[in-house]
Amino acid sequence: MSVAEQVRQYILENFLFSTDVSLLGLDESFLERGLIDSTGMLEVILFLEETFGVKVADDEMVPENLDSVNRIAAFVERKKA
Amino acid sequence: MPAGPTSLVDLLRASAQRHPGRQAIRHRGAEIHYGDLWREVRRAANALRAGGLQPGDRVALLIENSIDYVIAYYAALQAGGVAVGLNTAMRGPELARNVAHCAATALIAMPGHPELPGVIAACGTLRQVVTTPATGPARKAPDGAVAWHEWMAAADDADVPETIEPQAPASIIYTSGTTGDPRGVTLSHRNLVANTLSILEYLGLTEADRIVNVLPFYYSYGNSVLHTHLAAGGSLVLENSLTYPHLVVQAMAEQRATGFSGVPSTFALLLQRVKFADYDLSSLRYLTQAGGAMAPVLTERLLAALPGARLFVMYGQTEATARISYLPPERLASKLGTVGIGIPGVTIEVQDEAGRAVPAGTAGEVCVRGDNVMLGYWENPAATAKVLHDGWLHTGDIGQLDADGYLTLVGRSSDMIKTGAHRVSPLEIEEVVLELAGVAECAAVGVADPILGEVVRVCVVAADGAAPEARAVQAHCRDRLAAYKVPKEVVFVATLPKTASGKVKRFMLKEAG
Repeated sequence: MSVAEQVRQYILENFLFSTDVSLLGLDESFLERGLIDSTGMLEVILFLEETFGVKVADDEMVPENLDSVNRIAAFVERKKA
Repeated sequence: MPAGPTSLVDLLRASAQRHPGRQAIRHRGAEIHYGDLWREVRRAANALRAGGLQPGDRVALLIENSIDYVIAYYAALQAGGVAVGLNTAMRGPELARNVAHCAATALIAMPGHPELPGVIAACGTLRQVVTTPATGPARKAPDGAVAWHEWMAAADDADVPETIEPQAPASIIYTSGTTGDPRGVTLSHRNLVANTLSILEYLGLTEADRIVNVLPFYYSYGNSVLHTHLAAGGSLVLENSLTYPHLVVQAMAEQRATGFSGVPSTFALLLQRVKFADYDLSSLRYLTQAGGAMAPVLTERLLAALPGARLFVMYGQTEATARISYLPPERLASKLGTVGIGIPGVTIEVQDEAGRAVPAGTAGEVCVRGDNVMLGYWENPAATAKVLHDGWLHTGDIGQLDADGYLTLVGRSSDMIKTGAHRVSPLEIEEVVLELAGVAECAAVGVADPILGEVVRVCVVAADGAAPEARAVQAHCRDRLAAYKVPKEVVFVATLPKTASGKVKRFMLKEAG
């Protein structure tokens, strides 16, 4: 499974309580949908660190890296490269 | 300050007259100065009146913190209406319930809010539906609404004829209620002015102050931050999300903020994720903390991280407009763990069950008297009578005063769940969970969480042989309730522990699991 699909599955299951991929577009903004709040983001980061073995620095916590499935996937790929 | 302001509008007008060229609000790089803000408020008030708004009519606002929210709120007051700031995190049924309950005739909303079409369809009392933005590039309005710039085309900026009575309702703030028992805290102009001026006095705010604000204006704490800073002629920099904590601190440094206000979870998050030493926060003069007790260790870490700022620990309730007590910073060390003394104009008394004042050192119900005490719950006389009687507001909080008059809170007589900045009634969650087939009984409680204070746990007794999955319970709640009300934990139990009279013993459910 691709990084993007793994991230989407995680967000769906933990924030939308569903497995229906039609509920979350890969480029949809979490902020605009009110999907992930401040503590939710800490959970997402924990998931990324545990699943992909990357370390997310505080100054990397910005919307450009984390505000959609595709942005997270690209960020993880860059970190792993 | 002008002599005898009767409303928040008077306070804003005075600030605009004193220094029209100073920045009032900054949001996403855009800013508005006092003179322009005051002109836009008058124009929008005229547009509301031209659209048929009568004095006393309710104006619902479905707008995140923004320049637009501020214009719409003050315009509603200036037009003689009652501003009802809706919680933008709520889902359609919750929003429609509140708009219908106050029978709002006008709604000013963000065009992109996903629940807006449903709210318009569900609320037959609405005669004007206007969509933002009020400032910046125009956006097309959705069906059933008119875009702000079209609505304003015919409006002038003349002063609306004075219609404001100090004792008239000015604002309704919906707190955690249920379908059968809505709690719309109704505040008069006098309530809002009195609380604003009291807070101004003890914080010593001036036009030189600039706060970075993360608190939603639709709650009483954020509402008070807004009004106090505008009355002082200071400025507010709006940061609407703590999802990226260091961006908030970066804004504090870049904007040379003098103040910052938060609830315990705000400070817990910032301390966990941000190295304050990396930022120049030398301009920071004051911090305020309300919204529940903060652990003393967290208070000490905060003071160590921001040694230049004075911390005001405060206590309040929406029913008391916002603020009831504050702990003067110079007494913080000697009175740590208390929530301080009554703010100017407010009397605190701790009473026993018979309504008699108890001596210092004895616990009882915290009762409050002053011009900040609400008129009552909108259209809910039974709930009002329970908390407003014998000349006192009965807060439902249990506390004790020491010999110097400093209040310590020791508990709450209600079952309200406190999660982050939110208050959630367990009944509200239970009535939604009970809608699911397979749920015989349920009870919601708050369980301890290191950052949020509490998170929601729901304990479910399944009907014979047909228990829903935990995720289905959460998904159903996510459809019907704001995200912060969705249970983090779903626990299946054989029975709910009850008293002899059949009341659920919630404290036992907090420990299980």
